[in-house]
Amino acid sequence: MDEYPPGSLDHSVPFLLTLGVTPGNDNAATYDSALSPILKEQAILIRSELPALGDDTAHALLRYIQEHDASELPCNGKEITKRYRFRVRSAERSFLLPPRRARLPDGIEIPPSPTPPVLHSPYSPLSPISPLYPDGLIDTQWILKHQSQVPSVLLVFYTLVSDPTLTTLRDNQIKTDVNNLRGLLSQSRYKTRLSIILLAEQHSPSSSSIQERLENIRKGCGIDSKSFFLVPPHESPEELSRMAENMLVTLQSVAIEYYREMGRHSRKKRSKGVVPQPTIPPVSGTSQTLSLAGWNVRHDFKSAIFAEYRLEMSDALRSYEQAYENLLSSEIMEAIPSWSPRWNEGRLLADIIAVRCLRCLLWNGAYSSAARRWQSHGERMADLIDRRGRGTRNYGFEAWEARWACLMANLIEKAEIPEFTAATAEGKKNDGSLVESAMRLYLTPEKAVMGERLQPWELLHHTGYWYRLAARHLYKRRQFARNMPEEDRRPPSFSPASQVASRAFMYDTYMCPEPYEEYPLESFAGREDGWVDHSQLIVEMLIRARREFMKRGQIRFAAELSLECAMELGSIKDWKSIVELLRPIWKDMSFRREGWVGVVEDLSWTLRTAAVMAGEADLVVAIDYELLYKGFTTVQNWPYDTTRSLEGMTPKSRPRISVSDDMILSFVAASFVFRDEEGKAGQSAHAQLSLTSNARRGSAPVVFKQVQVALRGSVNSIILENKADEPGPELQQGEARLVDVPLTSYVTEDESSDSEDGSSETEKTVSLKGEAPLTLHAGQTIVFKLKIPLREPGQTGADSLTMSLETETFDLRHLIDLDDRSPAANNRWFLTGSKTKRIARANPLSIRVLPRPPKMEILTPTWKTQYYTNEPIDLGFDILNQEDVDAPSKLDVVLSRQEEALPAVFALEISGQEVQKVPAESETGALSLSGVSLGSIASSKSLGVKIRLQPIERTTEYTLTLRVVYHLSTDPGTPITQEKVLSLTIVNPFEANYDLLPRVHPDPWPTLFDPDGVQVDDPAITQDKPLIPKGISQTWQLVTRYASFASEPLRILDVDILVQTPPSTRVNHSKLDSSPQQHPSSDSESRIIRPKTMEEASFEITARKNTLDDRSPSALDVSLIIKWARITPPADQQEEDKPNSTTLPVPRFSIFGTEPRVLASVSYLHLPPKPKQDAQQRIIILTLTIENASNHFLTFSLSLDAPVDPLTKESEFAFSGTRQTTMNLLPVSRRSIDYRILPLVTGGPSSSAAGEKKVVVVEEQGGKWIKPLLVVRDKYFQKLLRIIPAGEGIKVDKEAGGVLVWVPFETLTSTDDRA
Amino acid sequence: MATAIPSIACLGVIGRNNNPLHISIFPSYDPPTKSFTPVRTPLQFSLLLSSTLDVFDLRARNNAASGVGLSGDYGLLHAVDERLACYGYETNTGTKFVVVVDMRGRRITGSLGTSGAASGGLDGQGSSGQGGGSARSRAAQAGVGLREGEMKPVFKAMQTAYIKLLQNPFYDPDEHAPPTGRGGKRITSRTFADDMRRIGENWTPGVTNL
Repeated sequence: MDEYPPGSLDHSVPFLLTLGVTPGNDNAATYDSALSPILKEQAILIRSELPALGDDTAHALLRYIQEHDASELPCNGKEITKRYRFRVRSAERSFLLPPRRARLPDGIEIPPSPTPPVLHSPYSPLSPISPLYPDGLIDTQWILKHQSQVPSVLLVFYTLVSDPTLTTLRDNQIKTDVNNLRGLLSQSRYKTRLSIILLAEQHSPSSSSIQERLENIRKGCGIDSKSFFLVPPHESPEELSRMAENMLVTLQSVAIEYYREMGRHSRKKRSKGVVPQPTIPPVSGTSQTLSLAGWNVRHDFKSAIFAEYRLEMSDALRSYEQAYENLLSSEIMEAIPSWSPRWNEGRLLADIIAVRCLRCLLWNGAYSSAARRWQSHGERMADLIDRRGRGTRNYGFEAWEARWACLMANLIEKAEIPEFTAATAEGKKNDGSLVESAMRLYLTPEKAVMGERLQPWELLHHTGYWYRLAARHLYKRRQFARNMPEEDRRPPSFSPASQVASRAFMYDTYMCPEPYEEYPLESFAGREDGWVDHSQLIVEMLIRARREFMKRGQIRFAAELSLECAMELGSIKDWKSIVELLRPIWKDMSFRREGWVGVVEDLSWTLRTAAVMAGEADLVVAIDYELLYKGFTTVQNWPYDTTRSLEGMTPKSRPRISVSDDMILSFVAASFVFRDEEGKAGQSAHAQLSLTSNARRGSAPVVFKQVQVALRGSVNSIILENKADEPGPELQQGEARLVDVPLTSYVTEDESSDSEDGSSETEKTVSLKGEAPLTLHAGQTIVFKLKIPLREPGQTGADSLTMSLETETFDLRHLIDLDDRSPAANNRWFLTGSKTKRIARANPLSIRVLPRPPKMEILTPTWKTQYYTNEPIDLGFDILNQEDVDAPSKLDVVLSRQEEALPAVFALEISGQEVQKVPAESETGALSLSGVSLGSIASSKSLGVKIRLQPIERTTEYTLTLRVVYHLSTDPGTPITQEKVLSLTIVNPFEANYDLLPRVHPDPWPTLFDPDGVQVDDPAITQDKPLIPKGISQTWQLVTRYASFASEPLRILDVDILVQTPPSTRVNHSKLDSSPQQHPSSDSESRIIRPKTMEEASFEITARKNTLDDRSPSALDVSLIIKWARITPPADQQEEDKPNSTTLPVPRFSIFGTEPRVLASVSYLHLPPKPKQDAQQRIIILTLTIENASNHFLTFSLSLDAPVDPLTKESEFAFSGTRQTTMNLLPVSRRSIDYRILPLVTGGPSSSAAGEKKVVVVEEQGGKWIKPLLVVRDKYFQKLLRIIPAGEGIKVDKEAGGVLVWVPFETLTSTDDRA
Repeated sequence: MATAIPSIACLGVIGRNNNPLHISIFPSYDPPTKSFTPVRTPLQFSLLLSSTLDVFDLRARNNAASGVGLSGDYGLLHAVDERLACYGYETNTGTKFVVVVDMRGRRITGSLGTSGAASGGLDGQGSSGQGGGSARSRAAQAGVGLREGEMKPVFKAMQTAYIKLLQNPFYDPDEHAPPTGRGGKRITSRTFADDMRRIGENWTPGVTNL
């Protein structure tokens, strides 16, 4: 834009001139008439006679107005919200207006004519002093006249004095001055609107008088109220701004009116259709005057400009287009010869109109039309110049094309199109991340052209593309310039005149220099400063374009431009800039990552060249290192030897370069493979590190100094140092070289000092070192076979690889990330140099190290098959170290229980010494004792550990976990764990059932009538004496049968009962001898009970109430206590069997019922043997004892009958005694009645008829049961009483009721000897 | 009267990792020399294709944000200048097809009506007034524009060719766009290259089947 005459392309903004304020500190907006000397001479001076205002209010007001200058506002229709637009300039007291009529220049002969010559405006082609005279169209001077010389509004500042003595005088002075100004303006015949602003000094006493004064001044000046303003004194800045704002809005309408009038004037002139005659007819040149078409162009252009002032952009566009078409029509441009200066003026005017058209289109949002308009202007110009001018195939036209593209970019920038600017303004809203929604590379076409077949370029692209286009045209311009023959490039003073003349017709020099300046001969270069620096121009455009692309995240495009830029900079040898520009791109360019090798190569070579010149040794080395990769094209005669990279350079310090795979395309492909997926700690894993060189053929071998593999896990790194290479075996094409590398382990302790608590932790880093030949020839693969000792369980894997290269001149470290998901082809295991097998594993880079198999054993020599309740449990363990070396160990014990079980308290003994440590209870109820040090257990020695549990009372289950954590004294870093989990089930060894059988108490019952038995309730008597129970007594026999539920024979030491005596009763008990069927053991005190067998024990319980009065029933709580012990094998006698006692609760019995009861017991009476009989004869005495524990007198009827066998018609027995009797029982008394029974039954089968059903007699081994029909009836209640057997030899007949009496066979007598 | 019409200047197939898989360059008509020469060097075409990746990225992000653009046809990516415009298509496996169109790559003689393809509107907006006769020929030289969907047959044909390539059991797509996300081999299939050549040479505006 700058190349065009100033002001010619600017947006036309109404011109406001202020007068009457002294200039403030900033002179930016000071009025400058900028009239040419010749016009200045004739200029009209407009002068205010009153002194200029210098107070703060005036300055503040003026500053506000000046700050709202609109000439720099963005040119788009969306800014119309602003209610006024002014271009503001300030003059102090006077300004110059250009003359309305140009004077005739001196020395011009006025041809004789009847009328005096008509004078015209100095800007008109009619005036001889105008450069347009006689046939020019219009020039920038005219545009400038309205833009900066002739104001639309003249705003004059005055003070309204408050001093009453001066008011009239001053007011009159204002009036005079305004009228004077008005007079001057009208004399100048410009239609500039006059408006005044009065700044009141102070509040006047009465506002009415002020009003009066104002009205007086206004009328006196003849000013419209719209153009008359008053600023009250002492206004706050906000108030002042508000006032100024309102004033400017009002003035805007005044200005618009002014420009409308001007426009109307132009149109009127155009519609006249008259070609005015110049002041004097031209005498020089073609003596041609401006044609009517030319005048039309002039008028249309003027109308358009005035419409633009009014912001009527559509009108302006129409007028511009009209002017443009007329200008390029056959009558004007086609008629102008290209050698004429008017030709270039015409082109300039066309450009100006086109630019203004574009602005109108952009203003209205017709973006695609704008792009199309831009294109069409270019094409029409090219066409015109091809046909009429000097052709388009020269540097001049390309220069114009570049300028034209750049202009468009400037216009788009100036228009600040929201869709584009949003991307840049909002785009960087938060931390530089781009807002995607605002991203537009090009704009969608406006509705008007939506459906048309659009050229892609007609979708308006952002300015980056336009600048780039400009750069491309500049390239072409330079190309054309370089193709110029030498003779054309000579300065005119050095070349023959004929050539100068011919050159004038060959080269288009519209707005660009002559050939000798465009591309001077080398011998003349530098002689003059005017010659064109093409590279500089190109770089400028490219940098601008690049900035735009960067803003929009088009990184690749920006990189491309950077590359182009660098090439240009290379041609002007600005090496530093190239390095600055390309180094960041080179570092992480997407081209490399994405495999655009050609681009990478191009960029690398460009950067390398610059880096060499700029002395950036590290870059040179890194690039050389990368360029070894065979993917790049080969440059002939390039050594491809990194050691020679820095030849010819003298870096200040020794370069240390660090590169990684992300940074370069590496020629080294590395892979690391573990052979096995799993390994065990303490063993070694086989691994292979392979380095493959993808360097180009013929490049020098690379000798690495060191290769370091970083590992995760216990080993930190593997370091391979270079070893002098012994000539390896001859290798086939593509065959890998396998090298066995023995590794030695080094432990270095890193003291990490960063720990804040002051305690320095030492971290052990274990590295493995080995030596191997590290010379890598182009295309070669070296495989290092490694055996890596595994230590800690877990995952161990290779992370990265660092290769160090040290040459005489530099150090280079190359980091390869192995953790990358390497291509499947890398998972190769080299069996031999040429044979590989594929490791089909997801991640061959790592190995899972299983824990070292522990060789520490936990033995349970004394573990018993079963543990019982009520038994103190001692669990002995032996911890046996079967490792080869001593092992410092620790023990954890966890005893976890079932939920409902009680926690078992245990204690730990180590080597017979109790550990003073309380087990901790966890949330789940598990008791644990952890980290008990066992000391160092010597190899193949064992350590005894004992866990003592308190007796457990209930059946339950526990889980005991023993964990020994140890490490070998030789390898403290590797913890090893052995664990043993044991299930501990506690069961009850016995279960029992019980029978309580009534017995007849031998002692007589006390009677109520016995004076001895009377209970004395006198405390004085009972105090000293022990209480002798005198109540009724009963005897019972408790029969217990207990079974062993143990899994092994147990030794029963004793069986006893524990009776809980109720308070009212005295209870004695005694153990009866074991029944005869029990095996008499050798030691009667401790019998052995086998599993699943049952044993019986009987106890006699005698109870006696304390007093006779107490006859209530009592409850009897008994528990059975079994004392037992395990049977220890005789061999293992050192451990004594401790007696344990198991208590089994017996269900509660009730004694001393109040109901009467009938107890039947038998005794056998021996009769003296009769002489003739072998067998002893026995009489059975059946005793019935009726107890009446009640308070009633009871009467019972008793009857005994011997039933008769219906078959034999014989009775089983004979008896003596009352067969039927009545028995009366006093309250609380007991009576017995005896029957003597002589059994008649005989043993043996003879007596019993075979097959006959025996009704009465029940025969058993060794005797027979007979059934006496015994009936006891309560006379009063007529109720049968149950007869309770009380003793041996009598039992209840369960089938038929009644009682049975046992007859042993030896008592039987023959029927013959019946008594 | 000669009219410039668009032609394909370059076909590019770009892999999932933004790596170049295939580049075919086609010569354009050069009026001064009256011969067919490519408008750019291979390196410049490489750069041009890679610059479209910026646009793919931007659009993909844009589409993801606004939830549109499922079809994969990105339409016009950008026009680098008055002549060259890039159109793009992305398959659902991330392979991108880029067509670089030279808006003045071919020249047909005779009236516009003879070529059905070039029957679109003229770019003569600027020549609305009188005296535009000569300008109109110049404007006609600028050629015809392109409608939105005119690249569809090209993409369809390219995709067909690409699918044909994928059906070849010796073509391992992972080799050409490794899942590591870095680089990849180029397509070496001659059939595919021939297909691309056929597509690039046969396309003119209005062709619906390739």
